[in-house]
Amino acid sequence: MKKPALVVLAILGVVASLAAQGAPPRAAAPTPAELAAQAAAAERGRVIFKENCSACHAEDATGGRGPDLIRSSLVRHDKGGDLIGVVVTGGRPDKGMPPFPMTQSQISDIVAFLNAQISLFDLHTRYGPYPNDIPAERLATGTVEAGKAYFNGPGKCNTCHSPTGDLAGVAKKYNPPDLEVRFLYPSGTPATAIVTLPSGKTFEGTLLLNDDFNVAIMGKDGWYHSWPTSAVKIEVHDPLAVHAELLQKYTNADMHNLFTYLETLK
Amino acid sequence: MKKWLAPALFVLLLTPSHLHGQDLDPGKILTPPTDSWPTYNGDYTGRRFSPLTQINKTNVGAMSLAWAFQAHTQGLQSMPLEVNGILYIAGGNQAWAVDARTGRQVWHFARPGESVSGGNKGLAMWKDRLFLTTFDAQLLCLDARDGKMIWQIQIDDPALKAFGSMAPLVIRDHIIVGTSGDTADLPGFLQSIDPMTGKVEWRWDSMPKPEDPAWKTWPHDTNVVTRGGGMTWLTGTYDPELNLLYWGTGNPHPVENGDTRAGANLYTCTIVALNPDTGKLVWYFQTSPHDTHDWDMVMTPVLFDGPFHGKPRKMLAQAGKNGLFFVLDRTDGKALVSEAFVPANWLSGFDERGQPIPLRDKEPQPDGVLVTGGVGTNWQAPSYDPDTGLIYVNSREAMGVFYLTMPGKMAEGWAGRDFFLSSKSMLKAIDVQTGKTRWTADTEGRGGQSGILSTAGGLVFTADSSSSLVALDAATGKVLWHMYPGGSLGTGAMTYELDGRQYVVYPVDGVIYGFTLPAP
Repeated sequence: MKKPALVVLAILGVVASLAAQGAPPRAAAPTPAELAAQAAAAERGRVIFKENCSACHAEDATGGRGPDLIRSSLVRHDKGGDLIGVVVTGGRPDKGMPPFPMTQSQISDIVAFLNAQISLFDLHTRYGPYPNDIPAERLATGTVEAGKAYFNGPGKCNTCHSPTGDLAGVAKKYNPPDLEVRFLYPSGTPATAIVTLPSGKTFEGTLLLNDDFNVAIMGKDGWYHSWPTSAVKIEVHDPLAVHAELLQKYTNADMHNLFTYLETLK
Repeated sequence: MKKWLAPALFVLLLTPSHLHGQDLDPGKILTPPTDSWPTYNGDYTGRRFSPLTQINKTNVGAMSLAWAFQAHTQGLQSMPLEVNGILYIAGGNQAWAVDARTGRQVWHFARPGESVSGGNKGLAMWKDRLFLTTFDAQLLCLDARDGKMIWQIQIDDPALKAFGSMAPLVIRDHIIVGTSGDTADLPGFLQSIDPMTGKVEWRWDSMPKPEDPAWKTWPHDTNVVTRGGGMTWLTGTYDPELNLLYWGTGNPHPVENGDTRAGANLYTCTIVALNPDTGKLVWYFQTSPHDTHDWDMVMTPVLFDGPFHGKPRKMLAQAGKNGLFFVLDRTDGKALVSEAFVPANWLSGFDERGQPIPLRDKEPQPDGVLVTGGVGTNWQAPSYDPDTGLIYVNSREAMGVFYLTMPGKMAEGWAGRDFFLSSKSMLKAIDVQTGKTRWTADTEGRGGQSGILSTAGGLVFTADSSSSLVALDAATGKVLWHMYPGGSLGTGAMTYELDGRQYVVYPVDGVIYGFTLPAP
């Protein structure tokens, strides 16, 4: 599902209440000093977590050998270390987790770190920058040669693009998944249009709207123009059209090879 | 005895006026919507079809604005209810009552100190009470007269990012409500609630119990089945004659890692038929076994009767997020039609039950995989027109790339990332006899998808994807009326007759628009 609600929910955060009756209690917004203290505690917690916990729970707490702590019910219901502290100091011998004799302040810092990670992940569950973004080596499962051959061969990429021209350093410009998504389909690239009026006069510019009823451009003359679609002749030049066509032809191997090649353009 | 007489008399005196007030007559939901629109889909069938004909193919071109209600909020996705001349609208954790004649506010509800806007899908009404789900996963009962809260109950755990956004469904004296959320791994469910007290009457879980044969559709070397998914995001439908409640369920969790949950993962991505008195499962049909793409199949199960290839049938149709269209016999869940309505490369075909067979190599991979089929359609409601025999679906032909970012058996949560690459939106009119698209109206442009209303006036009301509100010829898709409202339509339009005039109401962002024909 699409979840516009989640952002609102994250903002709600502290407002959310399990109380069955009555209005939920409202917490006052933290002051800048409190926020700074939380951030400092989270930073200390990050170091403690890395040293003691990351071997099983991963540095970002998403889990590995041990459970993902970001989606843990216990972690999310913790209040100031009341649940997490018990697990840390007592361990989970039945599940292979040894006890970690930590002080209350160390536990508080770990809790601050986990809360910071939860906020980050809840805002970026699916979209946007993951803290553990996909490394290039995981995507570069093709070969440079095959990618280059596709670029200059069946893909006909070299018709419009050059590794020493517009694509020079492209792998430095984008992180690995963004690079792949952008070469597969560089959405957002605007179309241009030439609009011919009944008088024969033409306007050219960036296409802003072209539906059943109206057409609008940002003209080369720097002015916005619009007309009823039925009253004019419209010639659209969409640089995405060739990418849309190519997208239907890519095999997964083509994609992997092209990425492996483009990732060398640093 | 005597001292009880006065209060008893008082009650007797109150009752008749109470009955003649603005209450919703529960029988109204059983008939096609004309002078009221008393539930999320207008009636129990989910057809979103109105028998009103005053606004029709010949005159819709003259339809014009009667009033606009400014809710001073954002992102309304709510389907308004209309009962006895009052519109009831939800938005975020708020609700409004609005005069359906004038567009003027009657009351506004928000919890003290709170102003949460956003994508609530709508209210449910039972007699003189309204029911609102909230983003902190509560169900609120409001007095329809003044919007005052009567009770509230906790439905799910907001600490795990479960939330409420659905319009509940009223069946006789029961409120059926489910849950939403997919940040953490949560099990989905439906509950029946007593409208007087908020007491839970039954609960049906999307995750099977050990004694259920569906238990075998999950691995049990981890506790994945206790966390599994199957959220009940949208409102179901109901057949009072068969006394069956139909609901679509959401995707399994971890969302994009199928290795953690080898098997079909029942009852996720499934249409279930439940007995609404007990919550017991009567039949199921899994529209997307072992989903690994977040294609929750919660879209409206649309109910209609008629001949199917010459034989009378009680049918149920769903166009799903996975790009597939199904028509089932709703007495037993047997498939009559299984057909892709957009290009879909993730399945090898259909099994003997008519359920899709997913391809292993189209599951998310660490280095990415190109997948077509989803999101074929989304939560925006479809409509079925019995006069044309067509189901109208706002659809999307799209390609995405899916990455498995959290491999292995310990994965939780999303466990992957996916990106839409290109997509093309269009309204499709699908023939229920064949599952084939009879016509498409290209709605490509800016903006998103919108819900759909059809009427006996031969019209389909929706919005195109450059956000113009449109009325189309239901038989051909030709645009007969349009208007740009300055925002995006979400859930769709609804219609009702009041003072002998037919109104068409479109919620757009923070504004509700009411259209009619010019006064005679």
